[in-house]
Amino acid sequence: MSDHTHHHRTAPREWRTGILFLLPAIVLFGIFVVYPIIYNFQASTLDWDGVNPGRFVGLDNYTRLFQDPIFLTTLKNSGWWILLTIIPQALIGFLLAMLLNEKLRGRAIYRAIFFIPAVLSPVVVGIVWQRIFDPFNGVVAKLGRATGLNLLVHGYLADPKTAIFAAIVVNVWMWTGFSMLFYLAGLQLIDNSVLAAAKIDGAGTWRTIRSIIWPLLRQTHLSLLLLGIIGSLKTFELVYVLTEGGPNHASEMLPTYTFKQAFQLQSVGFASTISVVLLLIAVISSLSMVRAFGSGFLTGDEK
Amino acid sequence: MKRQRRLGAVAAATALTLGLAACAGGASDYQSTSGGSGSLTFRSWSPIEQTTQQMIAAFKQANPDAKIDATIFNYPEYLVDLQTRAASNTMPDIVGLQPGALTQQYRANLMPLQDCAEKTWGADWQQKFYPIGLEQARMGNPAGDENFYALPLLVQTVNLWANTKIFEEKHAQIPQTWDQLKSTVNQLKGGEYAPFMLPAKDSWLRNVVFLQIANNIEPGLVYKAEDGSDTWTNPKIVEAFDYWGKLFTEGIAQKGAIGLDAYPTGANQFEAGNAAMIPLGAWWIQQSDPTKTGLPPLSEGMSGYQPFLFPTIPGGAAQPQLVGGIDVSLGISKNTKDPDLACKVLTDWIAGAGAQKLVNTFNDLPAVTGLNPEKFTSDKQQQIWTTLTSDWMPQVKYSRYLKTPQMDTALGDALSGIATGELTPQAAAEKVQAEQQKVNG
Repeated sequence: MSDHTHHHRTAPREWRTGILFLLPAIVLFGIFVVYPIIYNFQASTLDWDGVNPGRFVGLDNYTRLFQDPIFLTTLKNSGWWILLTIIPQALIGFLLAMLLNEKLRGRAIYRAIFFIPAVLSPVVVGIVWQRIFDPFNGVVAKLGRATGLNLLVHGYLADPKTAIFAAIVVNVWMWTGFSMLFYLAGLQLIDNSVLAAAKIDGAGTWRTIRSIIWPLLRQTHLSLLLLGIIGSLKTFELVYVLTEGGPNHASEMLPTYTFKQAFQLQSVGFASTISVVLLLIAVISSLSMVRAFGSGFLTGDEK
Repeated sequence: MKRQRRLGAVAAATALTLGLAACAGGASDYQSTSGGSGSLTFRSWSPIEQTTQQMIAAFKQANPDAKIDATIFNYPEYLVDLQTRAASNTMPDIVGLQPGALTQQYRANLMPLQDCAEKTWGADWQQKFYPIGLEQARMGNPAGDENFYALPLLVQTVNLWANTKIFEEKHAQIPQTWDQLKSTVNQLKGGEYAPFMLPAKDSWLRNVVFLQIANNIEPGLVYKAEDGSDTWTNPKIVEAFDYWGKLFTEGIAQKGAIGLDAYPTGANQFEAGNAAMIPLGAWWIQQSDPTKTGLPPLSEGMSGYQPFLFPTIPGGAAQPQLVGGIDVSLGISKNTKDPDLACKVLTDWIAGAGAQKLVNTFNDLPAVTGLNPEKFTSDKQQQIWTTLTSDWMPQVKYSRYLKTPQMDTALGDALSGIATGELTPQAAAEKVQAEQQKVNG
């Protein structure tokens, strides 16, 4: 009985203390996450230029959005971006990690070289690659002319059919070192005795990679997959600098289109609508990943 | 219990958020950040930081007590900053503005400036300015509203530039007509440089080149299409779209033109001697800024450049037309704490000691007539300056901008579609016309 009373008396105090500990995080979360989401959603129901009083239009912006061919292009481009950056980045990154995990002379230097693009400013990368791809005076075209490989003498960024893929190539170049680093970290965690056992069992290199190393890196694959999806959805600077979303919106991504609507076309309401959809896509894809694969790869817990 | 706690936390977070939530779409009562008399804030994307500091220093020489806190951004960042500040009651006292849509967006937060102008320069103050600058300063005002919410600081023509070194080496003539343009391009082909470098990745550049073509075909017609008294599908405008397309299909522009940006790549290439001609504007004279050191040989005293107007089009106007407008204008926040000081700074930068510093850098052309750099580094530089400020600028009749960002974007998209072969000139004209009808309601 006394125990029971005791429990009842201290519970609210514990609760209060707990809340107090949580408060700083709650406040920050509220200000920087919850509030902008609510604000954004509200703005998406307005015809509003961001400065002057807006006009409530209900869900009109959403209707307009799904009839907007440029929005559909951005969805398609995001799909390509997710598919064509995550897979090649993972494969090349894994390959590099395997190579640079060996005791190679100067491997620290190689690791640094492959990782450098990831720490460069996307703006710098964009300007440099625009010049590399320039069919008139760029390195790729000059190489093509020198070797007779006409395939290289093409304005890949200037052609609406190829612009998004050219941007994806640059993105893969930029972020492969990052995947490599993740895989290197993952490789360090693999217990050597497992590899030794595999060797004793007569597994060759290929067999070891396929049946031991690759499956054991599951957490790394999943982390890269999630980071890749989020990164793809958030892509802005690189595309903005490389193509400005063009030509004729062919390489438009959700964030570049949002920026154009909000700040060039003064349609903050419509831009907010795009942001809401972007948020939904990000949340749904993250949640379904957690659903499908468990949250172990996020928290580091083995499942 | 656990569930209840979680609910409690969520409720606390929500209450907190709602408590601090200002609504999207509400009008706010604007307040300036100015801390009272003697101190002002200035934010803009232009002039560049270094020049702005010189202008501030010049103003402070005559007004030692004034304090001006200036921040200069890249243009896209500036737009974000200004919008955020206007929405959060921290509008700067003096702001850089583009004519038309940007000025109109902030009109409710801006102070009419004609009283300030009249007080400073007298009743005939408008005579000081190039006419196109004043006309554009009020572009988009509601009918009957004759206020100046911004005054031009720098103005410009849009035109072509030639690399005279290449022209001399090849004994080529600067083209005056479309046919000459084609033959000159053919004559200059085969070198390490582009005969006609078109950095068409940028929407603004596509639009100004098109507006030069369109006005050379039928002067003023596009603006009639804009106000609804004519249409974009008028055969003369379709013809202009067609000529734009010919820049690409007839091999005038370099390969990959639609992927090349004007800044930094196109400009760098031209300055490095990799192009014989490029469409830019009067501001190119800034390459010869005498306050900068280590200028490339072509830019030293403008020794390697010559400005010229877009060639005439067969069957069009006999003379090339002048297109241009405001580069940057300045506005004053309606709620500035010190309107007198703000007026003093604004007018000083437009036509006083600050303006002199600005003009000395050759950043662009001054908005007022008769203001010249104190020092020219070469006769050629002076001769080009005179051409731009005395021969061309007073004659500029046609705007380099359309009135709304929707139309600027629609036109830019249509031109991009033609350049990539996705749209025919007729289809492009129809798309632009459809957007125009939407905009005009």
